[in-house]
Amino acid sequence: MGGVLTKFLMKHPSILVFLGILSVFTLFVTVGSEAFGVGFISTSLVKTLGKTLCFCLIAIAMDLVWGYCGILSLGHFAFFGLGGYMIGMWLMYERTRLIVENSMANAALPPTPAEIQEAIGTQIFGVVGGAEIPTIWMFAHSLPIQLALVALVPGLLAFVFGWLAFRSRVTGVYLSILTQAMTLALALYLFQNDSGLRGNNGLSGLQNIPGLEAMPQSELSIYFFLLSALALGVGFLIAKLIVENKMGNVIMGIRDNEARVRFLGYHVETYKLFIFVLTAIMAAIAGAIYYPQAGIINPAEIAPIASIYLAVWVAIGGRGRIYGAVIGAALVSMLSSWFTGGQAPNIELGPLRVVWVDWWLVLLGLSFVAVTLYAPKGVGGLFDLLKTERSK
Amino acid sequence: MLRIFTILMAIFFAVTPIVGQEANDIVATKLSIAVEKNAPNIIKGSVKTASPIIAELVETDDPAAMRFLSLWQEKSLWYRKTDKRIFAVKEQEDGSFDLLDFNNLEVVANLPKKQIKQIKPNSGLRALIAESLVAFRLLNEDKQVRQEAVANLARSGKAQHLQPLRAALLIEQDQVLKNEMQRLETLLTVQFGETSQERVEAIKSTTDSLSVDTRANLNRIVATQIKLNSELPETANIARVISPGSTDFSVEQAYDLLIAADLAKPIPTVSERKQLLIDNIENGKVDGFTIHNLATEKNRDAAYLSLVADGKVPFWSPGLNAEILVAQYEFVEVFDEPDANVTTAAMAALDTIERKVAMSEFADVALDGLSLASIYFLAAIGLAITFGVMGVINMAHGEFIMMGAYTGYVVQQFITNYTVSIIVAVPLAFGVTFMAGVLMERLVIRHLYHRPLETLLATFGISVALQQLAKNIFGTQARPLTAPEWLDGALVINDVISISWIRIAIFGLSILFFVVLMVVLNKTRFGLETRAVTQNRRMAANMGINPNLINMLTFGLGSGIAGIAGVAIGLYAKVTSEMGGDYIVQSFMTVVVGGVGNIWGTLAGAVMIGFLQKGIEWFNPANTLAAQTYMIIFIIIFIQFRPRGIIALKGRAAGD
Repeated sequence: MGGVLTKFLMKHPSILVFLGILSVFTLFVTVGSEAFGVGFISTSLVKTLGKTLCFCLIAIAMDLVWGYCGILSLGHFAFFGLGGYMIGMWLMYERTRLIVENSMANAALPPTPAEIQEAIGTQIFGVVGGAEIPTIWMFAHSLPIQLALVALVPGLLAFVFGWLAFRSRVTGVYLSILTQAMTLALALYLFQNDSGLRGNNGLSGLQNIPGLEAMPQSELSIYFFLLSALALGVGFLIAKLIVENKMGNVIMGIRDNEARVRFLGYHVETYKLFIFVLTAIMAAIAGAIYYPQAGIINPAEIAPIASIYLAVWVAIGGRGRIYGAVIGAALVSMLSSWFTGGQAPNIELGPLRVVWVDWWLVLLGLSFVAVTLYAPKGVGGLFDLLKTERSK
Repeated sequence: MLRIFTILMAIFFAVTPIVGQEANDIVATKLSIAVEKNAPNIIKGSVKTASPIIAELVETDDPAAMRFLSLWQEKSLWYRKTDKRIFAVKEQEDGSFDLLDFNNLEVVANLPKKQIKQIKPNSGLRALIAESLVAFRLLNEDKQVRQEAVANLARSGKAQHLQPLRAALLIEQDQVLKNEMQRLETLLTVQFGETSQERVEAIKSTTDSLSVDTRANLNRIVATQIKLNSELPETANIARVISPGSTDFSVEQAYDLLIAADLAKPIPTVSERKQLLIDNIENGKVDGFTIHNLATEKNRDAAYLSLVADGKVPFWSPGLNAEILVAQYEFVEVFDEPDANVTTAAMAALDTIERKVAMSEFADVALDGLSLASIYFLAAIGLAITFGVMGVINMAHGEFIMMGAYTGYVVQQFITNYTVSIIVAVPLAFGVTFMAGVLMERLVIRHLYHRPLETLLATFGISVALQQLAKNIFGTQARPLTAPEWLDGALVINDVISISWIRIAIFGLSILFFVVLMVVLNKTRFGLETRAVTQNRRMAANMGINPNLINMLTFGLGSGIAGIAGVAIGLYAKVTSEMGGDYIVQSFMTVVVGGVGNIWGTLAGAVMIGFLQKGIEWFNPANTLAAQTYMIIFIIIFIQFRPRGIIALKGRAAGD
């Protein structure tokens, strides 16, 4: 197996280049961090960078499903959010349990298991007027099971949805609208107080890892940053493994002419379903790493608009090239937080004053139109230009 | 002062014609005697001491007594400080007061203000007087006063009001008021009628009314309490036998009844037992049990039992089960109303009314569904043209709706007459969004006809930009778009069914749109050319049609309709920069569910989604979020079975 991988890597040096750049970047951030280095990169910036890497990972998933397989899914943030919810359940439950047990330790009588459960329930669900722990939290005490659920729940949702949709040959725009409807339905469902996931309060306090209370956030943020980088590297490798093999040719064939691939004897639905489920799981893992860094998850995160932005990142970065998705996600999300964070200098145009917090979205929207119209290959297309220049 | 005087005069004139002078003299003495006797208490004016006085005055059945009560209530009675005699007063120009005899309002004396004092009953007492005066006011000449009296009775009718109400009913001339009195009379008879026969008759006649207070009234009659059967007298009007542990009667409630009847002792609850254990901690032990072992229910029970054995705590054993104890007794629901005939009739009447209410509610839900369907239709119809007929996905469609609504808002800033402003706003909104649509088609969409998925993204970019632009211009708070007065209010069909005029107008507007679009697309040259370009662009071009022009105009038409829809939607919802987003997903689903490419499909889709959503909400009214969730899931499943929508195009037009 190792030999095969080595051969594959030798054949595609771009993977090594990407992984190399990612490693150097990771090292740079670690050295610059407050916890392990000289400290010119603040903890909040480390977190932002870690979150951006997670966005890059879901962008890779989006590129696989859209750029390579031609399924414009406008619902991948639903999987991202579900992944976050799954890990968030463990984080919140365990942390609440530790707090509750601590506070009950000094009670006159040692608490019974039932009393602890009740106290945890009140602590978590008091905000939505409940005290009982819903059935869907039955595995919340176990990290391994919740980690498995991070992949299983979104994977299953993607499987059922994809199976239904591909089987009845819903394609193109219709599929996009259907995926959008899916994520809207999920968001609306989670907004309810009796959904068992705290309604619009969402899950909070996720930045505190149970059992690691002693570790300062500056240190924790670096570990999560490294984890994000690792996940991105693995995700990149997996995506490359898929698209640079025969399977990649088939799915690109599906993108370009689905009917012809079907006539050639390939079971198109199975390929599509595989890609859809795989990318859903990638999105879910990205979400599971993202939300402990963000600290809070609520249903607004999976509103349809988020998934459309995902498509925007990939389109700006350049579809059909994995590194393009990474560039797009990193570029747009970093620029977004730079402009909306109020760090960008405002422009004084005589009587008109451009405040970027207000005008950034206008700029983003218009630049997006421009990219679609004039640079359909996105930022990644620049690399093609460089290549052709060199070969001349 | 002048006001009080006016009221005095009004009452005076109101009363005089009914009162015979002779009778007045005789009864007046009665009144005087009563007042004189109770003067200290009237002046003191506490609710407790006053109520027998009021009863006594009412019993005299004398208009002058009623007038006295009115004056009392209106703080228009004064008393002379020297002898505590009570008078009505009239202020003179020089600041002194004429004292009037409350029997006939004749001037008895004139005193400066210093020598008299106003009687000020508190609000509780004034309410008490008002209530006792209601019956009297039913006979007042002023219709306004009678109406107030009837409204007052509707709120707090009592048994003693029944007779005066009937008397008033006989002579009431105003038909509307008479009907209201009749209804009230029935309701009061239902509650306070003298014979069981009379009440049953009244109950039977209530079944025509669906109003909430009729139902509340009947429900009051069939109100029940749960009691132990053995505790009841023979004559009790028993509704049904009820067993503990059912949904509306828990074992705990049953056990509490047993405790109240001294048939059982309270069982210490888990938390009480825990508290008792804590109370008995000595040196880190509870009766020999070390504390850290008490972390399970089982050990705690053992410790408690050992405390019981020592007699330190109330008795309890694991076998002590409230369920078994309560099973030995029979519990029944007893009507508060002792008359079985009345309760049976009331139950039957409630049944009938509830059936009627359910039917009305169904009709109401259907109307709601229709109105929601017409809103979805309005929002989606423009999209049906751009997306359905041209195959272009316009994510900025919602923002065109928003633009239309803001156009309406801006027009209202300049034209304050709401009717005129709406008349101006509708064509203007069409114009603005038509231009925006044409501009967008020329600049963006034209270059993307061969890449449909990318129009989706490009128009999304425009949508984001437009939304933020609107936010920058108009701010984030919601702007009102006020409807003209003739659209205010609602069409009320009965107590359950009502629909606001705005919704009816939106319904009318969507019908109009539907018809106009059908005509435009099917009967005009432009429609013919549009359809030709839609089906085969090149062939159409060969026939001399300019496809670029047609596409531009069609896109403009779809956008313009979105603008008009925006004005209509803005009238009943608030105008915000995000309002477009609320409709875009629903609009897409409407078009997709209905079937792309024809107006009939959009109509069918809107009707289906509208009715579906209201229908689901009907089953679970508290939770509109759940209704939307289930509706979307239903649509997702529906698309599996009809991927081309309800009305699918067949043949070449279906494309692909």
